[in-house]
Amino acid sequence: MNKKILIVEDEEILRSLLSDKLREEGFEVIEAIDGETGLEKIKKEKPDLVLLDLVLPGIDGYEVLRRAKEDSETAKVPIMVLSNLGQQEEIKKALDLGARSYLIKSNFSLEEISQKINEIINS
Amino acid sequence: MEEIGKNEILAILENIEDGLIVFDKKGKVSLVNSAAENFFEVKREDILGRGINDFLKFQKLKYIFYLLGEEIKEVYRKEMDLGDNLILEVTVTLINSQGNNLGKVVILHDVTREKTADKMKTEFVSVAAHQLRTPLSAIKWIFEKLSEDRSLKLNEKQQKLIREGIDSADRVISIVNDLLDIVRIEEGREVYKLASSDFEKVLNSVIETYQEVMKKRNIKFEYYAPSRKLPKIKMDPQKISLVVQNLLDNAIRYTPPGGIVRVEVEADREKLKFSISDTGIGIPEKEKIHVFKKFFRSSNAIKFQTEGNGIGLYIAKNIIKAHGGEIWFESEENKGTTFYFTLPIKK
Repeated sequence: MNKKILIVEDEEILRSLLSDKLREEGFEVIEAIDGETGLEKIKKEKPDLVLLDLVLPGIDGYEVLRRAKEDSETAKVPIMVLSNLGQQEEIKKALDLGARSYLIKSNFSLEEISQKINEIINS
Repeated sequence: MEEIGKNEILAILENIEDGLIVFDKKGKVSLVNSAAENFFEVKREDILGRGINDFLKFQKLKYIFYLLGEEIKEVYRKEMDLGDNLILEVTVTLINSQGNNLGKVVILHDVTREKTADKMKTEFVSVAAHQLRTPLSAIKWIFEKLSEDRSLKLNEKQQKLIREGIDSADRVISIVNDLLDIVRIEEGREVYKLASSDFEKVLNSVIETYQEVMKKRNIKFEYYAPSRKLPKIKMDPQKISLVVQNLLDNAIRYTPPGGIVRVEVEADREKLKFSISDTGIGIPEKEKIHVFKKFFRSSNAIKFQTEGNGIGLYIAKNIIKAHGGEIWFESEENKGTTFYFTLPIKK
């Protein structure tokens, strides 16, 4: 069965570019445009990995992380932060909250992001 | 000209906007003006004749004690945050009259407005840079997608254009990253993770990463290690590594093939001294005063190497200063340049 990836990203263009790429790579992709929906889908869909933006309308990515990790049902779902924030304290905060990895969006190509996802899923 | 009388002098001191606290040669407070009273919310009667130790009893004055200590250290423009939206710059100087020491004067200058403006500027750059990253990611990813889309049947020229698009986006992204680095370093947020560290280890790992480039550019590298083992240095290894990296990168970048880059480290009891010399293009005499300025690139550097953003040395200077060290250089155009920095060794 295809691995399922949830993309939580409010920028439409980035979301669609990521989705297309990951579909081409053979993943099943579901999307959420804000933190609230993101959390619901983590719970309902149990994705194999979540790509999570931090700056989101409503509850932000940190809060999504916190709640997903607190909930025993979803705590094990690996979450990879993909954000344009990138100061050390921001990265540390996300990792402390339980993110598996942290990528600064603009520093990675779609190909590299897809590779990182594979690394985590296959580990 | 009429000489100014004592009362007039006192009136002048009383009315200037900077705060003044004078300690006599026995270390007792002998003068306080009204600006100082306002800054610290004290009445002069309460502190005249007292020593600096007594400042500890006052809500705000105690910060002066924390900054200057019992011996009333001489400082130059040290920042002191009193909370309640008040930031002072403190300078302490000796009062000398015909060779006699008459005590010390503490000058307090209100810099709240400048500091607030600085902070706003910093925050603005940080927000702007983060917001730039989103459309930049989009541009980069769109080009990437186009270049991989086989159904488009792009010819070689079109492929090349797309690659140039990706390169340009990457260039802007790296400028944005540099801007964020500057902001961070100006904020001084990250230079305070001082830990007792092995300088040579940091140095070696930087040199290691440049071996390949130097070989490729046919540059001979020489390293003069310190004659005896260095003591541990109190420093932020990541930041010092960035300084060494910037200096080495410059030396290699601005030295023509066949040249020599030489690194030397020595230490005495007080400080470590690092130097790096090259046989490169040098810095024009007239431009030397600008070398450590943000975004500055010398006229011959721009011609020699089109890439570069002029912030490496600016960052290096900030980091070394934050460590209590010094950084300087000697250079002769078309002959070469030597950069030096020192780091204090604390026992």
